[in-house]
Amino acid sequence: MSVLGTIIRPMAECGIDANGDCVTHSPILPETPEIIWGGLASIIIFALLVKFAGPAIKKGMAARTERIQKELDGAAAAKAAAATEATQIRQAKGDIAGERARILAEADAQATAVLEDGRARLRQELADLETRTRAEIAAVGSRAGDELRAEIARLSNAAVDHVVTGSLDDATQQELIEGFIARVGAAK
Amino acid sequence: MSDNRIDGYARALFEIARAEGTIDEVEDELFRFARSYESSDELRNALTDEQIPAAKRQAIVEDLLGGKATSTTTQLVSMVVGAGRGRELPAIIDRLVARASSAKNLELAEVRTAVPLTSDQETRLAAALANATGKQVNLKVVVDPAVLGGVVATIGDTVIDGSVRTRIDQLKSRL
Repeated sequence: MSVLGTIIRPMAECGIDANGDCVTHSPILPETPEIIWGGLASIIIFALLVKFAGPAIKKGMAARTERIQKELDGAAAAKAAAATEATQIRQAKGDIAGERARILAEADAQATAVLEDGRARLRQELADLETRTRAEIAAVGSRAGDELRAEIARLSNAAVDHVVTGSLDDATQQELIEGFIARVGAAK
Repeated sequence: MSDNRIDGYARALFEIARAEGTIDEVEDELFRFARSYESSDELRNALTDEQIPAAKRQAIVEDLLGGKATSTTTQLVSMVVGAGRGRELPAIIDRLVARASSAKNLELAEVRTAVPLTSDQETRLAAALANATGKQVNLKVVVDPAVLGGVVATIGDTVIDGSVRTRIDQLKSRL
């Protein structure tokens, strides 16, 4: 049915009032008594709703608001805790980095000290070894010299004994005695 | 043995020898015997061994000296050894010789040589030592091969060393 049909047909179904005018129902507004009764019924229902369902609705809304607020607070607390934890983690990370740097620096210092100590000890040992070696060389040289001198002295002594005792014949003995007597007699 | 005891023995031996009128000979023989005693370990051991009876030790002395020394010398040594004083024999004899020299106003001069001296050499050496020390000396000659050659004279604390041994020792020490 077209729009024109919708308008024309009610006119065709209109009633005739006392004046003979065609009277039709408004396509938009209901009948006045219907409006009045309908309005009253709506007010009563609304009032009943306000009276009986209002507190429950208000309570439910308040509970919902409270639950949402709780959830918001929990989320905020969780966010704060997460932020604190994040701060702690960042701080721990920073501490770890600092500790690592400190340990590395300490290890470097120890390594340097150990190296320097080792070098110093090595230098000292080398110096000691050199000194000992020089002393041993000198001692060996001295010993060899002493042994050589002792051997020469021993051979010389043996040679002296051999030569002197071999040459002490009777004439020499007498000569020695006479020489002694002459020297002692001349001395005063 | 104490000095007093050694002195006592020396004085006794000296008086006996002087009483016998053989002090010069006895002194000389005792001196030689003391030097032999010092240089011979065997003799020293035989005369000081307590295990050997005194009579046997005296017999050893008499065997050694009999016919070579005067009887006075033999008997004096035998007496000392028999009394168990063999160990002190050199000290007793040295004291006796010193006493005898002192009695004659002489200074004891012990002379060591490698070979024996002739009497002429002894006389001239005594005169030379007297000249050198300003004292008359009682010369006692000991033949000691260790001297090797020359003479070592000891007068009191003075030693005049003209021995080959000493010269060799000096040469060796320089070497």
